[in-house]
Amino acid sequence: MAMDSGADGQSHKAHRSRHSGASAKKKTKAKNKDQNSDQKQQNPKAFAFRSNAKAKRLQSRAVEKEQRRLHLPVIDRSYGELPPFVVVVQGPPQVGKSLLIKTLVKHYTKHNLPDVRGPITIVSGKQRRLQFVECPNDINGMIDAAKFADLALLLIDGSYGFEMETFEFLNILQVHGFPKVMGVLTHLDKFKDVKKLKKTKQRLKHRFWTEIYDGAKLFYLSGLIHGKYPKREVHNLARFISVMKFPPLSWRTSHPYLLVDRFEDVTPPERVQMNSKCDRNVTLYGYLRGCNLKKGTKVHIAGVGDFSLAGVTGLSDPCPLPSAAKKKGLRDKEKLFYAPMSGLGDLLYDKDAVYININDQFVQYSKVDEMGGTTNKENKRDVGEDLVKSLQAVKSPIDEKLEKTKISLFSHNGRKRRKAIFGDGVDHSNLKSTDEENEGDEDDDSDNDNDEGENDRSNEDNESCSGSEFSDGDEEDLKSEEDDRSNEDNESCSGSEFSDGDEEDLKSEDGMGNISKWRASLVERASKKQNINLMQLVYGKSASTSNTSANEVKDDSENEESDEDEFFKPKGQRAKNSIEGLGGGNINTEDCSKSTKISELKNWKEEEVYESIRDRFVTGDWSKGALRNQMSEAKTEEDDIDGDFEDLETGEKYESHQKDDSSNGGIQKEDDDAIEERRLKKLALRAKFDAHYDGSESPEEETDVQNGGKFHRSQANDSGYYDKLKEEIELQKQINIAELDDLDETTRLEIEGFRTGMYLRLEVHDVPFEMIEYFDPCHPILVGGIGLGEENVGYMQTRLKRHRWHKKVLKTRDPIIVSIGWRRYQTTPVYAIEDQNGRHRMLKYTPEHMHCLAMFWGPLAPPKTGVLAVQNLSNNQAAFRIIATAYVLEFNHAARIVKKIKLVGYPCKIFKKTALIKDMFTSDLEVARFEGAAIRTVSGIRGQVKKAAKEEIGNQPKKKGGQAREGIARCTFEDRILMSDIVFLRAWTQVEVPHFYNALTTSLQPRQKTWQGMKTVAELRREHNLSIPVNKDSLYKPIERKPRKFNPLVIPKALQADLPFESKPKNIPHRKRPLLEDRRAVVMEPHERKVHALVQHLQLIRNDKMKKRKIKEEEKRKEFMLLFNTFS
Amino acid sequence: MGKITYKRLKGSQNMRQRLLLATLKSTPVLIEDIHADDTLPGLRPHEISLLRLFEKLTDDCLIEINETGTKLKYKPGIIVGGSHLVHDCGVSRAIGYFLEPLILLGLFARKTLVIILKGITNDSKDPSVDTFRSTTFPLLKRFGVPSEGLKLEIKSRGVSPHGGGEVHLAIPTVQHLTATMWTDEGMVKRIRGEAFTTRVSVQLGNEMIYAARGIFNRLLPDVYIASDYRKRSEAGNSSGYGISLVAETTSGCCISADTTVSYPRGDEEEDIEGEEKKELIPAADVGEKLASVLLEEIEKGGVVDSTHQGLLFLLCALCVNDVSKVRVGKLSPYGIETLREIRDFLDVQFVIKPDPSTGTVILKCWGSGMKNLSRKTT
Repeated sequence: MAMDSGADGQSHKAHRSRHSGASAKKKTKAKNKDQNSDQKQQNPKAFAFRSNAKAKRLQSRAVEKEQRRLHLPVIDRSYGELPPFVVVVQGPPQVGKSLLIKTLVKHYTKHNLPDVRGPITIVSGKQRRLQFVECPNDINGMIDAAKFADLALLLIDGSYGFEMETFEFLNILQVHGFPKVMGVLTHLDKFKDVKKLKKTKQRLKHRFWTEIYDGAKLFYLSGLIHGKYPKREVHNLARFISVMKFPPLSWRTSHPYLLVDRFEDVTPPERVQMNSKCDRNVTLYGYLRGCNLKKGTKVHIAGVGDFSLAGVTGLSDPCPLPSAAKKKGLRDKEKLFYAPMSGLGDLLYDKDAVYININDQFVQYSKVDEMGGTTNKENKRDVGEDLVKSLQAVKSPIDEKLEKTKISLFSHNGRKRRKAIFGDGVDHSNLKSTDEENEGDEDDDSDNDNDEGENDRSNEDNESCSGSEFSDGDEEDLKSEEDDRSNEDNESCSGSEFSDGDEEDLKSEDGMGNISKWRASLVERASKKQNINLMQLVYGKSASTSNTSANEVKDDSENEESDEDEFFKPKGQRAKNSIEGLGGGNINTEDCSKSTKISELKNWKEEEVYESIRDRFVTGDWSKGALRNQMSEAKTEEDDIDGDFEDLETGEKYESHQKDDSSNGGIQKEDDDAIEERRLKKLALRAKFDAHYDGSESPEEETDVQNGGKFHRSQANDSGYYDKLKEEIELQKQINIAELDDLDETTRLEIEGFRTGMYLRLEVHDVPFEMIEYFDPCHPILVGGIGLGEENVGYMQTRLKRHRWHKKVLKTRDPIIVSIGWRRYQTTPVYAIEDQNGRHRMLKYTPEHMHCLAMFWGPLAPPKTGVLAVQNLSNNQAAFRIIATAYVLEFNHAARIVKKIKLVGYPCKIFKKTALIKDMFTSDLEVARFEGAAIRTVSGIRGQVKKAAKEEIGNQPKKKGGQAREGIARCTFEDRILMSDIVFLRAWTQVEVPHFYNALTTSLQPRQKTWQGMKTVAELRREHNLSIPVNKDSLYKPIERKPRKFNPLVIPKALQADLPFESKPKNIPHRKRPLLEDRRAVVMEPHERKVHALVQHLQLIRNDKMKKRKIKEEEKRKEFMLLFNTFS
Repeated sequence: MGKITYKRLKGSQNMRQRLLLATLKSTPVLIEDIHADDTLPGLRPHEISLLRLFEKLTDDCLIEINETGTKLKYKPGIIVGGSHLVHDCGVSRAIGYFLEPLILLGLFARKTLVIILKGITNDSKDPSVDTFRSTTFPLLKRFGVPSEGLKLEIKSRGVSPHGGGEVHLAIPTVQHLTATMWTDEGMVKRIRGEAFTTRVSVQLGNEMIYAARGIFNRLLPDVYIASDYRKRSEAGNSSGYGISLVAETTSGCCISADTTVSYPRGDEEEDIEGEEKKELIPAADVGEKLASVLLEEIEKGGVVDSTHQGLLFLLCALCVNDVSKVRVGKLSPYGIETLREIRDFLDVQFVIKPDPSTGTVILKCWGSGMKNLSRKTT
């Protein structure tokens, strides 16, 4: 309205457009162009498809593009509140990682963080929390960080360019399910030249793009202002982070995991005193991510090993999201943050205590925030400490903080931790609140009351993290608060044990105070008991043993009886009895799914008997049949309310009620109001669901889905398969939520485990003491849940490719360190390749550019899990450390890799085409194994193994009195072989994959130390200065071939006689004297002599000439060479 | 590498579920005191046969039995499956005994399972092969098992004491089972069945059919019971007759009942030696009684009959991480035992709520998220 009035009252100056100058020209040009194009478009037919084929092609292309866009929808099964997203800040050393975290924390919370240690949780928005983690610089830390990162900020020193760490980390991320990645360029103030800066930015950006995808975000932080990044840029970065979406990754959605942000040693101190190296008990705290965690799940602590959980407790959220009230932005009070390892954060809620953590510097510099009240109190109480603190505070003014963080390598206990004490003991115990304790014995009223208070408190704590209430210290105050709050809480939190039905009642009883509450809790317990009743029967008794129902007692007594009488009963009867008694008295019951006793049948011929089930048939009353379903449906949903409170108030005994229920006899009265309430709720839910689906389905169908539990899978609307799939997933999700919310808290925990987003405390026993000793908060601890069948060890077959930046090929049986799932371990792979016939042939080395199979032994991971291989863990290696990437194909217990084997034998006796081959086999048994195998001589004559040779034929040694030689085989060939031939049998032999794996225990040693496992053969040789053993026979030598001497050809006389003269050898006798022709002298004629002399003269002249010329040339050359030498 | 920690169990009860769940979850088990107090201690022949079957289907599993047969060590391997497998089930239990675990095992195998099972096809103790075809397979389809691969052919029927039956079974593999909300039991719309006779007159079959129809006809007109008369090689080695009935409801639930009448086995005969040779129940009575059994099952309510409760619970527990909700009639002892075993092995608990108005029980569970890990990726 105000705007309108303003517009009316005041006339603004009109815009005056330019009539001359550059901008005017531009405009006219554009206008002209527009007009031209308009003219063109006046003929729309011109742009229609002229060719039918082209239209088809374009259409199909569009459809294809559409299809390519689609991905199989990922099912997100996290129904709880979202845990904080993990932002891992990674980069090479000295690139500004901690500074970035500090500035971001400052941006979000207005707190100065002195030191970045461990995860830092902050509330960044109304719906979003973030957890910042600095990635350690060693490769183990990088691998672990990649496994829990939701967003990776890759810090790159712009003045230096990319470093290996960035690429390594990118590769690690890619293997372990690519989370979101954003590059951040720092140190850009080192460029003086703007042009160069621009060029570098562009170059780095394009390099970054080739690594991820074109258009990947690379953020620029231009420089430092007062030792911090510019506020505006950090703000922008925060904006980028806040709008980012994090798609679920398949490994993580199927495994629960925790990023530990608090870590305590809870070993009894006596045990540590007795033996400082005893196994410790530790507690690990963190938000549950991934999927639900059940109590029996085993966990893997990265770098330590597998452990079973000794205890899991859900704690109240230390850094809760603000309440969902409608308002813009966050209030200052809601800008919480929680970083226990950094010595920051305020309150720690343990299972049995509440701690206030006070950082010294924090006390000094942050008096404005919510910690103020508490800290003041503390100061008053302890003067000495105060003094010490002030002394410490002087040492570190803000300016020096940055330097200090770099220097302080060793000190990381700058915090004090104290128990918050509140007045008297009773109340104190109350404050150690957990939901679990509520199940404990509650006999008297006051205790009950307090317990409720606890419940409220724990929920209340989520919202108001201000510690001031706790410091009040008197019981009355607390109580009054409880009273005030309990009602609100009951409304707001569904997490409390009260079922929905109770809430309504409590509301009505607002004024009644403690008594009503006590009664309500009793009733609530009673109703719970009814629910569990059948479950107790099946699963045995839970914690509450005192509440055995009458039914169960009877059952038990039956069992006992049967146990006692067991000996005196005939065999068959005993078995029967145990079946009836359900108690499992007999452990050898026959395994039989059918349990009909034909003898006790009703007579179904009687009319009233068969008429009783008439409605179960289509010939009966349809409406009644439908009602049967309907009613029960409503019933199950309303099961929680079955304890009618009105009834209770009027004085009806609840025991009787229970009996009713347990005997399944009575039909309970339905409270109409409650039903109405339900229906409304359901409608609300449906509306929510509809909104989710932009009302695509008709409401009628919806009701069907909700009420009948039918799935109209076929009745999807016109949208494609993809939408249908998505809809189904969403429907399933809604059903799950509805069904699970129906249950009360404890049952739900038992059924589905702890939900994601909960802040959990895991207790693990018997952890090696080194984990405590070498604990470093800068190396975050990852606790991953182990899925079904993943704790077993076996052979895994992976498809592996050597990384193209690794310089060497990998050798079979050289140990490599692989990272699969949560684990890292060293193992010895055998590489292989699949031949065309499906045979897995061993390879000595990986192919250079191809994939190959790698088989190794280790803890199993499900197929399709990514595998990363490294060989060298040391930080001082310049080369790329990732040697290969792979993914799991399958796993089996037996390795099926073969290699070629060549059996060599020599003939020892040759018959016509049969020969006896020795040295090929060692025993006759072996020969028998190879009967029928194909063999071949060097010259290519093929043959076959027949049988082991009989003694008389082959075994000459025996004739000579020696032992009979075994392993001589009778073989036949396609032609007669020679004694000088060598016979080969080519076969395949199984290759054993070594049963070796060695878990990487990097958390159990000083972090600076490089983990050393099994060494490669090459490394060992280098260490011991050994040369590679050479088989002399394998070396290539110059081939020496002696000239072969052939005997003269002798032709038999008879043959000679038959030969024609031409072919007959002509025997010319050797002459002692030369022939006359050779001996005669030559006498020349005078003319001839003259000619001869002339020719001789001419030759002499020529020779002389040539000689002279040669000498001349030589001289010239010498001169030239001299010159040449001097110049060059 | 490393020591194997065995899960310790006692007694031969629920041997099938225990071995099945141990194999699926690959937990090594050690079972002690198997029939330790009996006059003939140790594993029964059918239990040994079952172990052999498991050994056949898995890769590199380890079975150790001590001398007396009262102690069994089982380290499961990877379920491989495969075709051209033959297994002789023996004559101490019917094929149905083996089929129940085999079906689930086949679903989570690496390769499609095609196996020939030989032995007793119909028996009064175990569900008959007809029931598997008519009721169990539709049940599997509810959990996302493709119907194309599921096949059970009865090549020849065999009843106790000498067996001689042969069935060909094919089970496809699945990636995972889908959760189901199956609480609508519907109303019975038709009743089907099959009455068989081996090495006896065809007339007996007709008598059974006639008697059964007599009961049903008062309630439902749509009753059709086929007769399967087997002779010579198709009839196995002993004579007997039986009937299997299925009631189908409007919501697609199948409720079945079956029985078989034949001469008892040899060892059982010795027990009753003193008595005169037991007479077989007349065919008309069999038909009548079984019809009554079926009606009783229908009266109990639930989406499956009491025989299939165990299988239903197993399927629910092996689903993906979603909520399954099913309605059954009164919990059978076998069902309860199965629930306990599921809790012990898979760590899946059911929420069990009685529905007093119909006398049924509604069970809810959060699936364990079992995936077929042995399947090879391409």
